[in-house]
Formats: sequence, C-alpha cells, structure tokens
Amino acid sequence: MATAILKLQDASIFQGDNLIISNVNLEVNRGEFVYLIGKTGSGKSSFMKTLYGDLPLKKGVGKIVEFDLDTLKEKEIPYLRRKLGVVFQDFQLLSDRKVYDNLAFVLKATGWKEKAKIDERINECLEKVGMASKSYKFPHELSGGEQQRIAIARALLNHPELIIADEPTGNLDPQTSVEVMEVLQQLNKNGNTILMATHDYALLLKYPSKTLKCDESRIFEVVQRKS
Amino acid sequence: MSSSFDKFQKRKLISSYFSVVLSIALVLFLLGLLGLLVINANKVANHFREQVTVTIYLKDTAKDIEIKQLEKSLAIADYVKSTNYVSKEQAAEILKAENGEDFMQFLGFNPLQNSIDINLKADFVTSEKLEEISKDALSKNFVAEVSYDNDLVNLMNDNVRKISFWVLLLSGIFTLIAVLLINSSIRLSVYSKRFTIKTMQMVGATKRFIRWPFILNSIKLGIIGAIIALIGMGFVLYYIDKTFPELTLLTNQVYLIALFAGVFLLGILITWFSTFLATQRFLNLKTDQLY
Repeated sequence: MATAILKLQDASIFQGDNLIISNVNLEVNRGEFVYLIGKTGSGKSSFMKTLYGDLPLKKGVGKIVEFDLDTLKEKEIPYLRRKLGVVFQDFQLLSDRKVYDNLAFVLKATGWKEKAKIDERINECLEKVGMASKSYKFPHELSGGEQQRIAIARALLNHPELIIADEPTGNLDPQTSVEVMEVLQQLNKNGNTILMATHDYALLLKYPSKTLKCDESRIFEVVQRKS
Repeated sequence: MSSSFDKFQKRKLISSYFSVVLSIALVLFLLGLLGLLVINANKVANHFREQVTVTIYLKDTAKDIEIKQLEKSLAIADYVKSTNYVSKEQAAEILKAENGEDFMQFLGFNPLQNSIDINLKADFVTSEKLEEISKDALSKNFVAEVSYDNDLVNLMNDNVRKISFWVLLLSGIFTLIAVLLINSSIRLSVYSKRFTIKTMQMVGATKRFIRWPFILNSIKLGIIGAIIALIGMGFVLYYIDKTFPELTLLTNQVYLIALFAGVFLLGILITWFSTFLATQRFLNLKTDQLY
C-alpha cells in the first residue's frame, strides 16, 4: 500500500481558462502535516479547489485518496469529498440548522441510518474539538473560533484520509487561531493527514512542519530555518 | 434566545412560503375554472349535437316485425342515443298541430309515412357517420328514405371545432403561464438557499440527496396550493350551480372528479418539475459562479 495520499505530477491548475499554477509535482504522505503558504491571489485556493473537485484538473496527473483527479467524473465528486474533510476560511456551516443538525446532515448524506450511531459519532467528533456542549446552538450563536471548530468536527465525521483546510484561521484573531491550530495539531498527532493553506507565518513558526510555497505560478517546498 | 430565533426563522419561512403557495393556488384556480369551462362547453356542444334527428321513413309495405326488428337493432347500436317510432297517424297529428289545419280533410288520405326517429350520441354526429347510417338503413328494402339536416350538422361541427380550438389554445397558454409563474417563485426560494446547496455539496452529499428535501418541500407547498385552488373551484361551482341550476353543472361527475384530480396532480407535477430544474441549476454551478 502506497503511503502517498496525494500525488500530483506535472499538474497545472486552471481557474476557468486562466492558468494559475503550472508544473506542480508534489506528494503528501499519510500522517503528514503540510502547510501551503503564499500570498493571496497566488492560487492557493484554486489549488485546494482542484483537490476537492471544485475545479477540474485539465492538465497533468493527480491522484488523491485513490481517486484520479485528471479523470474525475462529476458523479464521483461527492464520493471523493467523503474521503476528504474540507475546512473553509468562512466555515460554511448550514446557517438554517443547529450544530447537531449540521453534523447529522453530513452523516445522513453519506449513508448513515441509525440514530444512535449518528448521535454517538457526532458526540465523538464534537468532543475532539471541545465543542460537545454546543450541539444545540445555531451557528450564528457561536463565535468565529467555535464555528471553525464545528467545521473541523464536521470534516472529521467520516474518518477522512486527508483533511484539507483552506485558511482555517484566516477569519480568526491570533488567540483563537492558536486554539484552532491546537485542535488541528492534536488531530495530526492522532494520525490524521492534514494539508493546510495559510498566510499566517506566526503559526508556521510556532508549529513548524513541512511547508510548500506557492509563488509565481509554481509550488515548491521550502525548508524552514529552525529559529 | 434560541427559541425566539426559532420563531423568527419560522415566521420568515412561512411568509416566504406564503407567496409561493398563493401563486400556485391562484394559477391552479384559474386553470381549474378554464377546465370547468372546457368541460361544460363540450357538454353544451354535445347537447346540441344530440338534438340532431335522423328520420328513417318506412314504406307502407313494411311488415310490423321488420319495423320492430329495425328499431330494436338501432336501439342497441352503440351510436344511437334513443329511437322513437312514429306512426303515420301520429305524424299527421303532429303536423296538424304544427300547421293548425287538417290537411287530410282536403287530401282525403294520409300521405305521410311511418318513420323511426333516432337521436345519435354526440360523438357520432359527423356527416360521414350520418351517411353511413343512412346507407345502412337504405339497404333494407322496406326503408323508403332517410333524412337529416346535413348542413346543420356540418355547421355545428365546424363551430364546435373552432370554439374548442380557441379554448384549448387558451388553456395551453394558461398552463404555460402557470408553469412559468410557479417556476419563478420556486426558483426564487431555491435561489435563496444556493449557498446552503453548495455547502452540502462540499461535504460530500450527492445531488440527489440534496435535491429531495427541496422537492419534498415544494410538493408540500404544491399540495397546499392545489387544495386551496380546489376549495375555490368548489365555491365557484356551488354558487354558479345555485344561480343557474339549468346548466346542470354538477351532473357530469366523472369529468368533475377528473378535473379536480387533474388540478391536484398538476400542482404536484409543476412544483416537482420546477424544483428539480431550479436545484439542478445550482447543483451544476461551480462555487465561483454563485456570486
């Protein structure tokens, strides 16, 4: 069994007809914590979107959690996303229902039927992010950091092989960012693979890890100086 | 706090559903009224058609048993509504009553013939069918003549055809307007949830799974709208029937039930179809195209 969970070869990222990033070659292995840094507009988000099937991979070869990105069919996208956990900068919770129902929706959408099991899994995931007491709240009743933790819990529900976090701390204050980051670090320690886009260099320094940089239409690995 | 928010959410939902339900109800109501018109126009036309009388004149030499047999065979034919044997004495009486003078007095004999009057079922009152019937009758050697007013039949059929064409055209346009109106109000309500739909897709829900609660909800609204429309139609029927009982609106129950069921089904189908289209539209959009 290959340990590479994400592998791109000569991949080009397009946004519509515009080439954003070319010649991407990278590998993410099981259990890694990988940062993706770069200025806003450098194509981080487009890169992430390509990974979870929101943008098509038109050129090059890509393999993510056993799905081929270059031949990914529209119908397979939901099933790809079930193996990924995606966390967004703007949380993207369903604002018309409570936290519990937000998570229950995901489980029901992915074929969970028994209520007892659903309850149990929701509790487990909320526990992991320290939000078990907030399941009856509406998203708008929570703070940004709390909402993001809910979003992370949601991403965890289906035991994702890879968690893709697109600037999860982008909307949060430094203090809360650290809290969210702690949650992610904890998850990584428990064996989850995480790919996180960020431009928060403070976090990089605090939690050093493998880092990819996205600049001038290219993605390359940077070596962090130990400070 | 959460319960007051709940209430607010609910009220917001109800008011946005209200306009959808109302537009469905109004459109279906109008469509239903048009349907009533169509059914009854047909009934009036049929009423006139069934007034057309074909008279088969019999020779004086015809035997009683032949006449009886012909009358019987006509009576059971599927195109005949009713038959009536008129003996020449009866015919003379009728003519006397109509003209007010006794022509037998100066003629000295009765020149009229025995005859059978038949009224046809509405569907068979066409000049082709009438010709066929008359040929059939004439082939019997005791039948002297068959007469009917062919011009009247043609004129009537022509007018009925014209009128039903326009009524159908009107119904078609109405149905189209119904679909468009309902479609646009449903589209609006789905549009307001486009980001929810996108988020649902992001967490791995299939299109079908996202779609069915929307469709279910819309069908519910469609059913409520249809029921309101049907109640409205019921009222209209009741009052028209009360004011003009001679129209016998309520006698044709099969058609009425069919119309009511049709309106109900239309309410479900239109909302189903519109919701399917509207959700499909947003399901197929990429995230960037939502804004």
